[in-house]
Amino acid sequence: MRDPNRPIPFLPAARAVFDLALEGMAWSRRSLLMGLLVALPVLIGLAYRIVLATKAAAPTLPPLDLYAVIVAIYWIRNVVPLAALFHATALVADEVEGRTLTYLLTRPLERPAILLGKFAAYLATTLSVALPAVVATFFLFATAPGLPGVGASVPDLFRDLGAMALGLLAYGALFTLLGVALRRPVIPGLLFLFGWELLANLPGYLPRLTLTAWLRSLVRHRPAQEGLSELFGQVLPAGLSLAVLVVASAVFLAAAVFVFARREYVMEQ
Amino acid sequence: MTRSRLFVLASAIVVAMGVIAGLGALWLDSARAAVGPLPAEALVLPADARFVMGLDVKRFTASPFYARFASQRGMRPEALRELEEKTGLDPARDIDQIVIAGQGGGGATTKGLALALGRFDLYKLGRAIETAPKAKASTLNHEGVTVYLFDEEAREPGALAFLDEHSLLFGTRERVEAAISSRTQAPLRSNAALMALLEKVKGGSTFWMVGDQSLLAGLPASIPAPGAGEGATVSLPALRSLIVTGDLDPQVSLAITGEASDEMAARNLADVVRGFLALANLQAGQRPELARLTSAVSVTTEANRVLVSARVPYEVLEALQPKPAVKPEAKEPAEPK
Repeated sequence: MRDPNRPIPFLPAARAVFDLALEGMAWSRRSLLMGLLVALPVLIGLAYRIVLATKAAAPTLPPLDLYAVIVAIYWIRNVVPLAALFHATALVADEVEGRTLTYLLTRPLERPAILLGKFAAYLATTLSVALPAVVATFFLFATAPGLPGVGASVPDLFRDLGAMALGLLAYGALFTLLGVALRRPVIPGLLFLFGWELLANLPGYLPRLTLTAWLRSLVRHRPAQEGLSELFGQVLPAGLSLAVLVVASAVFLAAAVFVFARREYVMEQ
Repeated sequence: MTRSRLFVLASAIVVAMGVIAGLGALWLDSARAAVGPLPAEALVLPADARFVMGLDVKRFTASPFYARFASQRGMRPEALRELEEKTGLDPARDIDQIVIAGQGGGGATTKGLALALGRFDLYKLGRAIETAPKAKASTLNHEGVTVYLFDEEAREPGALAFLDEHSLLFGTRERVEAAISSRTQAPLRSNAALMALLEKVKGGSTFWMVGDQSLLAGLPASIPAPGAGEGATVSLPALRSLIVTGDLDPQVSLAITGEASDEMAARNLADVVRGFLALANLQAGQRPELARLTSAVSVTTEANRVLVSARVPYEVLEALQPKPAVKPEAKEPAEPK
C-alpha cells in the first residue's frame, strides 16, 4: 500500500499528467487553429495537383521548389515557432489563468513530473499534427512530375521530419520556460520570434545566437530570398546545429523545471 | 482507448506509412541508378574523367525551354524528320539520357566520351551511317562490337559504337575502344572523387554536372575587378569541386555548389559573386530585365561551400535576348518629274 504522505513516483505521476493534459490539448480550439495553420500546405499541394491535372494554368514554381519554400520559410521560420509559442506558453499559464493550478499542485505529485508530463503532451499533440502534414505535403509535391525520381528527394523528407520535430522540441522548451517564468509570456515570445530571431539574417556570428539559424541549417532547402537574408545568408554545419538544438532544448527544459519547482504561484481572486 | 490517444496513433500510422513509402522509393531508385543520378550503364565511361555531365532528354524535350527555343537554335523540325526517315531515330522519342565524361581543357585534349541511352534501331542506324556520303565512315570490329570510324585521316578520328540496342558510345576512337574493352569492369567507379561528388547530386534534375579539383585547377586565379580602375584584379579562391544541377520546367532553375578550401575562401568567393550581381543590378536603369535577373539569383555559404541558386522565368530570358536589328525601310523610288 502506498504511503499517502509520500508523493507518487516520478514516472507514474508524469504519465498521469500526460494523459490528462493530452486529453485537454489534442481537442482544444487552440490545437484546431494550429492544426489548420500547420496543415495548410496540404491544401496548397492538393490545389497544385488539381491545377496541374486540369492544366488550368501553368505553375510558376516547380513542385519541389514550392515544397522547399513551404518547409524553409512557412514551417521552419514561421509556423513551427508559432505553434510552439501558443501551445508551450499555455502549459502552465492556462492553469494559472483558469485558477486550476492549485488543484494540480495540491496533489501528491512532484512539480517536475507535472511540468514534464505536460511538456510530453505538448510534444505528442504538435508532432501528431505537424509530421503527417509534412508527409502528405511531400508526397503531393514530389509525385507531381511522376513517380520516377521521388526516391532522390526522400532523404529531404527524413531531414524535414527531423527538423520539424527538433524545432517543436527546442522552441517548445524555450516557450515553456517563458510560460513558467513570466505572467504574460505571449508578447515576449512574439518579440523573440519576430525581433530577436531576425539576427539570423545578419553577418558574422550573430546568427548563432538564434534558434532559427541552427534549425534552418538542418534542412537542405535554400529558396531564393531577398534583403539581408539574401545578402548575408549563411548555413551552419549540420552536425553542430543538431548538437546545439539538443543541448539548448535540454537547458531550456531544465531551467523551466527549476523555475516551476521553486516558484510560488499566487492565484488572483 | 481515448480519442486523444486514437488521434496520436492515427498520426503515427500516417507518418510510418510515409516513411515506409519513402524508403521503398529510395530503394527502388537506388536499384535503377548506379551512383546518384548516374545510370549503371554509364559506369563504362573512363576512370580518368575530370568531369561528368548528364542530360535527361525526356525532361528536356518536355520542357518549355525546348518548345520555346528549339526552332531558334538550329533544331529545325524538318531536319529531325529527315533524320528519323533515314535512321529511324527520333531523339525526343528514342533517347532517354545522355551522359558525357571528359577531362576538360578544350580542343583535342578534351578527350570526352559520350554515352546515349535509349532505344536504337541498329540496322537502320548502321545502314544510314555506312551510306551517308558526308560521313566517310568505315567500320571495324573491336572485341565483338562494330565501331564506326569517321574522318580516319585526322589525328584523333571520331568513333561511334552501339554496345547494345540501348547504349550508344561516341567519342575519339581511342576512348571508344578503351570503353568497349573495359565495359565489364565499370571503370568510372574507380574514380573515388567523382563518385563522391555524384552521390551529392540532387536526383530528378534535367541536367547536372560534377567536376573535381583537377578540372577546376585550370580556372583563372584572378579576374578584373568590377568597377575598379584598369589593372585592378580580384583574386578568386581555388575551388575543390563543383556540382551543377538544373531544371527547365516551369522556369529555368540552376543550383551551383562550389567547394572552396575553407570557410573564409567560400565567403570571399560568395562576395565576388554578389559583387557581380550588384554590378549587374546597377545597369538596371538601362535594362530593367537585369534587375529581375539578379533578384532571381541567391548566393549563400555553408561552411566551405558556396551555393548559388537561380530561378529565372522564361519571360526574363526572352527579355535578355538581343533584339533583332530593324532593317531600315527601303526608300520609295522618286517619282519621275
